[in-house]
Amino acid sequence: MQAAINITPLVDVVLVLLIIFMVMAPQMRKGPDVNLPNTTKPNSQGDERGRILVSIDEAGGLWINDQSVAAGHFDEALRAAVGAEANPKIVIRGDAKLNFREVREVMVAIEQTGFRGVGLIAKRTGTEGK
Amino acid sequence: MQFNSSDSGSSLQSEINITPLVDVVLVLLIIFMVVVPLLMEGYDVDIPRASADTSAPVAESQLILGIGATACPILTPPAGEGIPKDCQVTLADQKIPVAELPARVAAILRGRPAEQRALFLAVDDRLNYEAVLRIIDLAKSGVEDLKIEFVAAN
Repeated sequence: MQAAINITPLVDVVLVLLIIFMVMAPQMRKGPDVNLPNTTKPNSQGDERGRILVSIDEAGGLWINDQSVAAGHFDEALRAAVGAEANPKIVIRGDAKLNFREVREVMVAIEQTGFRGVGLIAKRTGTEGK
Repeated sequence: MQFNSSDSGSSLQSEINITPLVDVVLVLLIIFMVVVPLLMEGYDVDIPRASADTSAPVAESQLILGIGATACPILTPPAGEGIPKDCQVTLADQKIPVAELPARVAAILRGRPAEQRALFLAVDDRLNYEAVLRIIDLAKSGVEDLKIEFVAAN
């Protein structure tokens, strides 16, 4: 008598799920698609949940988390995103094609809202991050 | 080597026990689902304080790295890895090729206490953002716990 459960279909399903998640993972990120700068040894910036993501796309458009934000309303949108959080961590996802000026202006805008430190997000050379 | 000593009499058990394998795969699946898409990497920097004391006196010990658009003309994303060799940066008023940056920064900051290991960056507005991050990456490769702070370029 064959007492063992046939687990081949189970392994099938699990492997397919694994592949689906690996493929879908980059699209699950918050914010627009940004072609992040490549560097060799970026430090860990932790999990993007619990961070406020400020994205600057290729055209210089500003995003806070999932929302496109006009430059004129950046301050109030950032304050709204921070809400009542006591010690928010803000990161900037800037496109590799940008000039430093566009990133600096966003950093100054963040500073004027009352924050000193930000993380500049990069991707490790050779990885597939977005 | 004896394969069949314990259960003599029964037929040879040739199947691999895959239960631990399935366990591990399921746990990996959960890890991938939860963690991987959301991890980020980058550089912590301090922001220039534009709104207040721009006239604050510059401390003697501040190590300033100037990256100008004429000495280091990287205005579009650099191809491949690293920084083009013709890029020259100004470290503590000395013009050096960018390749020497990690060694120079390490030599200057090695003797300092950890909280003073800071590099102040004055970056030309026209430079490409990716190039700036790569230069920060290069500077950090010399000193592990280097703090980066931007100052206004002049």
